[in-house]
Amino acid sequence: MQRSLHLSHPPEQGHPSDVLPLIEDILNEMAEAEEWPITLTMRANLILEELVLNILTHGDTSGLTKINLELESQDHALTIRLSDDGSPFNPLTDAPEPDVTLPLAERPIGGLGVYLVRTMGEELEYRREDDRNHLKLVVHPES
Amino acid sequence: MEFSHDRSGDTLVVNASGRVDGSNASDFLESLQGMFDPGDQRIILDLGGLEYISSAGLRVLLMAAQNLDKQNKSFGICSLTEAVGDVFRISGFDQIINVFPSVEDAKQG
Repeated sequence: MQRSLHLSHPPEQGHPSDVLPLIEDILNEMAEAEEWPITLTMRANLILEELVLNILTHGDTSGLTKINLELESQDHALTIRLSDDGSPFNPLTDAPEPDVTLPLAERPIGGLGVYLVRTMGEELEYRREDDRNHLKLVVHPES
Repeated sequence: MEFSHDRSGDTLVVNASGRVDGSNASDFLESLQGMFDPGDQRIILDLGGLEYISSAGLRVLLMAAQNLDKQNKSFGICSLTEAVGDVFRISGFDQIINVFPSVEDAKQG
């Protein structure tokens, strides 16, 4: 099953998180049609929220970035292909790795989103081509 | 998100249900903080009705846990669904926050 979505968010039209229901809807549709395990829906939603909000809120163009999202699922494995025309950002290398073994009082508040993408996503590939970021990853219900 | 809470002695049980993501995480934090009373010594967050949580929601839980820890108050989370439990495990939150199967277990823990 394949689905695609084009996302952009001009800053005058509210908050970038306004795009989240679009992602939720498309995932729920696929999950229902293919009877995804609940953990796959959750992981896919979480990963897409992190990546999309990162692009829309951190790029130079502050929300004007255009994102193409392609989803392809087979046998409860979801392949995500995401490309955007924002500033170069490689989520595999351009964000610090949080130390998730630190005790409660020392755990930093930030950095968790990209960590979850790297941990829940498999076969991650990033390239910068034609002034766009291209990211591919595969999500499974468990790891 | 929807909230309800129930106070019994110095124990506060908060039920949070629905979805917590980048659009409402700051409301989640405000609602939580608004429910805490200085006299509460044990705070239990029942997430049995939580359908979705992203890193924005995890940050709120971390901030709440750290604040309560500083005040030497007991904080526990209970009744995680399979999907939320999966996120807790991968993020390592189950190692730093007390997680219990049920409210009853959390009250005894």
